[in-house]
Amino acid sequence: MLDTVREIETPEGISLRLRAAGALPRAQAWMLDALLRMGVFMLAMIPLGLLGVGGNGLAMLLLFALMWAYSVACEVWLDGQTLGKRALGLRVVNADGTPVTWVPSVVRNLLRVVDVLPGVYGVGLVCTLIDPHARRLGDIVAGTMVVHAVELPAGTQVPTVAAIPPPVVLAADEQAALVEFAERSGQLTLQRQEELANLLLPLTGRRDTAAVSQLIAHANWLLGRA
Amino acid sequence: MELERISVVLRPRAPREALDLGATMLRANARAVWSAWFAFTLPVFVTCNALGVALGLPWLGLVLMWWLKPLFDRLPLYVLSRAVFDRAPGWRETLRGQGQWPWGSTWAALSWLRIDSNRSLRLPLELLEGLPRRQRAARWSVLRRRIVTDASLLTYGCLQFELVLFLSVWLLAMLLIPREWLPDSLRDFFRVDVHAASTIWMLLTSLVAYLAMSVIEPLYVACGFALYLNRRTQLEAWDIDLAFRRLRQRLQASGKTLAVLLACACCWPLSSHAASSSHGSRVAPPTSLEQVFKQPVDGADQQRFAAAATEVYRDPRFGGEHKAREWVFKYASTPQPVRTPMQPLFPGFAALVAMILKLGLWLLLAVVVGALLRFVWRWQRTRVVVDAAPVTPAPTWRAQVMADTPLPSDLAGAIRTLWGAQQQREALALLYRGCVEQTARLLQLPASIDATEADWLRQAAAMADPARAQRVIAIVRTWQFAAYAGRYPDDVVVESLLVGWPAQAGAPA
Repeated sequence: MLDTVREIETPEGISLRLRAAGALPRAQAWMLDALLRMGVFMLAMIPLGLLGVGGNGLAMLLLFALMWAYSVACEVWLDGQTLGKRALGLRVVNADGTPVTWVPSVVRNLLRVVDVLPGVYGVGLVCTLIDPHARRLGDIVAGTMVVHAVELPAGTQVPTVAAIPPPVVLAADEQAALVEFAERSGQLTLQRQEELANLLLPLTGRRDTAAVSQLIAHANWLLGRA
Repeated sequence: MELERISVVLRPRAPREALDLGATMLRANARAVWSAWFAFTLPVFVTCNALGVALGLPWLGLVLMWWLKPLFDRLPLYVLSRAVFDRAPGWRETLRGQGQWPWGSTWAALSWLRIDSNRSLRLPLELLEGLPRRQRAARWSVLRRRIVTDASLLTYGCLQFELVLFLSVWLLAMLLIPREWLPDSLRDFFRVDVHAASTIWMLLTSLVAYLAMSVIEPLYVACGFALYLNRRTQLEAWDIDLAFRRLRQRLQASGKTLAVLLACACCWPLSSHAASSSHGSRVAPPTSLEQVFKQPVDGADQQRFAAAATEVYRDPRFGGEHKAREWVFKYASTPQPVRTPMQPLFPGFAALVAMILKLGLWLLLAVVVGALLRFVWRWQRTRVVVDAAPVTPAPTWRAQVMADTPLPSDLAGAIRTLWGAQQQREALALLYRGCVEQTARLLQLPASIDATEADWLRQAAAMADPARAQRVIAIVRTWQFAAYAGRYPDDVVVESLLVGWPAQAGAPA
């Protein structure tokens, strides 16, 4: 089964799911960052331009900081998110899912020099397209990856009805599917709801509308409502 | 479409994550996608550029290839849609399969919808669903509702990527020119080459653009397809559908098992009845062939058995004849005549050099062996030294602490007695206990059994009287040195600690 998730199991048996971010969202985040930095630099040049040679020196320093320190500072102090990444819901983490620290962040940003070759991020783009977790060379060397940080779009609240216990014991994923159905049934058409509920004829023993309401009642029971 | 056979993990994703799923699908089916892609587009590329050259318009190839993109998009979509629900088709199958898909939408995309930022999303709707026109419009308005922005961003992103790859190739070529030549070659290039051989440069540009397009266009189609899959998962709850189907299958299977169990339960009394009836007449179990078959085993039987066995063994599955094929080199290798080494010019001199070299090698061997021996000898010696000083385990201290016994009334005296009797540890322990108790009394703290030395040092720092604090710290430190490091103070120090406040309770600091 194809998926973009990198699954890591901790010694405690908890599986962490890192949803790797691919080339397209990352390029969008980079564009935002680039525009932002350019804007800051141009705004700063207005007063600095009046200061003559000294102003030029300060502008150079500012440019250096924006080019090299901006990403590292944002990644370390702003939860692994530069402002562009934050806008797109991306985050830099270590390959094991822990928050990114100084050394990996510095390494991955220094290796931009390689990824930017031959001047327009050609190496980085090709590398992200080939790597299964969409890492560029800097990420591979630093042992980091970029993941989607925003939670999955959830459904609405399950409508409250009188709870009915399901007639057989259900496994965890089956329970999750029932609750998911109850949460997302509002987004489905009535016909589709009934079609789905009819699939579970062996469980409910009913059809159509009655089956839908019975499934929602089961979901209520699974959610622990009396 | 059989949803059970889908080969991607379905769950509601944010559209941006769905794009990444597209890249993953493309990576998994790269070979099938690109073989079909090149099988179709490469001849088209050659034809277009040949046409351009023949008409004297070398830019025509570049423009035509760009214009025909919607036509090429059908190939990756065909491969990916088959790969997701079934298996990846080969390139021949893909090319043949194009006939089954409607062409109307492709004509539209090639003409008035050529500049349409939602093409990636339109493709699966029009080609895979194949609905009549009226329904298609309604369906499109539902499908695009939440994701039209992402589809447009996808188009611009892929355009950008294509540009990046196109420029990368040229910049890389420029990086490979030595720097000192660069000004001259650039000047020459723009003054002479471009004008003199413009057709060649145009064709080269066309080729690079085609290669960049070949990398990115399948990605574009795959991402659009993933957006479409995700939207349908959202609209029709495909993931729930799959989970419900699995649950139904399990319930039906367990229902069958239940039925079998019920049947067994019904048969149970019958079988037990049969068992009890046979139980009555006890029959001795047969033990030998003669007893079983009620006739003697004779020689004829043996022969028949041997014949049957040979017959069976003649079956190719149990041995017998079989053909083996193997590759044997057709031309037997002729033994190469051994070349006699060339005769040296000065045999005597060569022999001398050879002897010196040989001697040198022997010397080298001797040095290596000597160094090894020396190393072994030194190593042995260090081991002997280690062996000579056997590690004696440090004596373990066993001390009984009686925290709940009351302190003696004359604390200083009791400590002096213990110290005099060489029970130094006990003496210092008593001093520490007394000190702690006095400090607790002074600070009006509740007696706590789990307070550590560090706690008392902190308490001492909080004391109002600095002289008393100094003394508490001195006593606690002395006790720590004694208890944890076995370093005991001399008699004078102990005596100085015993005079005054904590040891003599009433005394001033």
